[in-house]
Amino acid sequence: MSEHTTLSDLEAARNNTRDAAAQLESVETIESASDGQRQIPAADAPATEEPADAGPAIETLSMQQALNRALSETLEADPKAMVLGEDVGQLGGVFRITDGLQRKYGENRVFDTPLAESGILGMSVGLAMAGYHPIPEVQFDGFAYPAVNQIICQVGRMNYRSRGKLPMPITLRVPSFGGIRAPEHHGESLEALFAHVPGLKVVSPSSPHEAYHLLKFAAGRPDPVVFMEPKSRYWQKGPVDTAGTGYSPEGARVVREGRHLTLVAWGAMVARCVQVAELAAEDGIDIEVLDLRWLKPIDAEALAASVTKTRRAVVVHEAPLTSGLGAEVAALITQHCFATLKAPVERVTGFDVPYPSGDLEDEYIPNIDRILFGIQRVLEYRRG
Amino acid sequence: MAEISFPLPDLGEGLIEATVLEWLVAEGEQVERNHPLVEVETTKSAVELPSPQAGKVVRVYGEPGDIIKVGEPLIVFQVPDDTAGIVGTVPQEQAPKRRVRLTANLDED
Amino acid sequence: MADELPGLDHAVLNDDDQRQLYRLMVAVRHLDESAIRWQRQGLIPGYAPELGQEAAQVGSAYVLDMSRDFVFPTYREMGVARTVGVDMVEYMATHKATWHGGLYDPVASRFAPIQAVVAGSVLHAVGWAHAQTMDGTGGAAITYFGDGASSQGDVHEAMNFAAVMKAPVVFFIQNNGWAISVPTERQVAGGSVAARAAGYGIPSLQVDGNDVVAVAKATAAALAHARSGKGPSVVEAMTYRRGPHSTSDDPGRYRTLEAERADAGEDPIQRMRAHLTAEGLADEAFFGEALADAKAEEERIREGIINLGSRPGTEMFDFVYQEPTTALKAQARAWREESEHV
Repeated sequence: MSEHTTLSDLEAARNNTRDAAAQLESVETIESASDGQRQIPAADAPATEEPADAGPAIETLSMQQALNRALSETLEADPKAMVLGEDVGQLGGVFRITDGLQRKYGENRVFDTPLAESGILGMSVGLAMAGYHPIPEVQFDGFAYPAVNQIICQVGRMNYRSRGKLPMPITLRVPSFGGIRAPEHHGESLEALFAHVPGLKVVSPSSPHEAYHLLKFAAGRPDPVVFMEPKSRYWQKGPVDTAGTGYSPEGARVVREGRHLTLVAWGAMVARCVQVAELAAEDGIDIEVLDLRWLKPIDAEALAASVTKTRRAVVVHEAPLTSGLGAEVAALITQHCFATLKAPVERVTGFDVPYPSGDLEDEYIPNIDRILFGIQRVLEYRRG
Repeated sequence: MAEISFPLPDLGEGLIEATVLEWLVAEGEQVERNHPLVEVETTKSAVELPSPQAGKVVRVYGEPGDIIKVGEPLIVFQVPDDTAGIVGTVPQEQAPKRRVRLTANLDED
Repeated sequence: MADELPGLDHAVLNDDDQRQLYRLMVAVRHLDESAIRWQRQGLIPGYAPELGQEAAQVGSAYVLDMSRDFVFPTYREMGVARTVGVDMVEYMATHKATWHGGLYDPVASRFAPIQAVVAGSVLHAVGWAHAQTMDGTGGAAITYFGDGASSQGDVHEAMNFAAVMKAPVVFFIQNNGWAISVPTERQVAGGSVAARAAGYGIPSLQVDGNDVVAVAKATAAALAHARSGKGPSVVEAMTYRRGPHSTSDDPGRYRTLEAERADAGEDPIQRMRAHLTAEGLADEAFFGEALADAKAEEERIREGIINLGSRPGTEMFDFVYQEPTTALKAQARAWREESEHV
């Protein structure tokens, strides 16, 4: 079994233990890991193995399956929900997220559009004005650019323009971020762009469990939500507690508790930060990992609570540094924790360069060493 | 003679595994480059993998129905020493290896 | 009313031209099929095949005057690139994930960087073409796009701009029947992109895209129209995407093999071969030689691809600006210190 699957399992198991089933056996694994004994499940531990007392609601799903399930249940429960986009119908989407939905719910509710992203979003606005709850897909992050005019000028403003008479219950799914050696415009991180637009909300899941619940939650909101799916994490499997016992889809979430420093991340970077935290534990540094989840609104209270405790913070994202969301996170932490912070908030991010071709992806995306360097800078910082 | 292992490539935009459907060669068989080796199925499609090179099949990994991870060995060829060295770039998630060690004096916390 | 295009006999294709068209199509077909194998062999992470579109690509590119014209491709114009002489290792570099736009020099090649954005370069062609009017070069732009791309607003804007400015541009559509999983009848209202030209007052031609000679003649007529100062035109080559959209696509999910066989039409290479044979222009020895040349060429390109190393990470920073900012230089320094791997 490859390393990333194992870590995904660990991370997903951790998500579950924190939120849903504190009694799960894997709690011990997690807690001992944070004590510096790095305990990754054995390499041959099957991903499908469920904790003995997990109960029937826990299933092992990939994020692709979890999203598909969430969409299906949304279409089932909400007769006004509909899925539209390029190749989402018979093909089931290029990542198979909408697989089988058209067969199940018909061509009126799950349909292929012509190849025009501005058209997809503009049409969604009209559908929403007519009382529907569109869940449009933009096939890849970079394909959202042609739709930016509709997203900013229409999706984000119609509620305001109409004095609340024309809400925009649109969940825009965008396969996002990098890491899959794809062509140009298939690896972009647009969260800062979306988060900057008044009227939009932005969320990104980091695991199958989060994906399932956050998508169902987002699709039920009366406001537009940009749902950024980390496409490099589509296929790793992890436990999903479909009952969602004790799960809250709002705000940020601690995925690993720690005392010395807070790593803030979202999407695919959460798993990497958990890796880093395990490595840091070998050096006696106890790191808390905070999955921000909601990139707008940002859970400032969760940031404050975590950093008040750890007094140090590093924020990690794939998007370029300048005017990235890390700047917003740093500002919020500084505002809330200025008196007790031991060091300025460090940002470990992509560079201010266009997202590179596959060969250079690993040079661009924050890697373990760069995150460790960022942590070290914070640890070394001395006032005065 | 040298042995060359052919790992399962990423067959499409970030996939992490494939299921063996049917082996089209047997151990001991001599194959030419582009000879069909195996049919595999991913989450996206079923594809036939052509041999990346000529050589004698030493070992194959996985029975029909078995899942092979991207980057793990799929088949091993025996080739003359001077033809060893073909590589395919297999995208793999970064293994948690590190160069950087952390040092800190946390006593003053 | 739109102007008429010049007659199709405008382009004279002599016997050598026709044999060369065949050789080029065979080279392109073999390289295209090889690239799919390379992907299955892990040599390249992905590829967008153009199987079945050889006549449309080779025929249209063959009549360009590369001393003054300029090509605006999508990501599926390997046959065009090969025909106009782009270095094919440097072209394939985009599919090896070495550099998004390919490694060839787009200025020297007169072939714009490979464009991943659907309809992304159609307006660029209009701008470049208008510059030729102002500069009096006699050059024309040819912009390639598909039936899927024709849905993008940019295409409509481009046609309108070009018509208003009488820009010397050829809008060359390869209508290959499919935009990934969506067939033309669900994509293009009215079923024809060429028909839209009338709305902009642009002359248009719909041509059998599997007939390389017909495609060449139609494109030559469109180029002559552009060079004569009459502005843009639309050529819609009706062809068929015989392969998947890309190497990670599975057409079995949206079309049957029977439908493929029924809809694909005549194989453009078999068709040209029959034509050359019937006209007494080529024999078995010629056909054998064409294939052997194609295979030898593929060997060279494959070797080049295998030996093509990663670009140094510094290039991430080198090409962002002509005048790099201090902040970016600082990021490059930090990158070198913290994570230089290549």
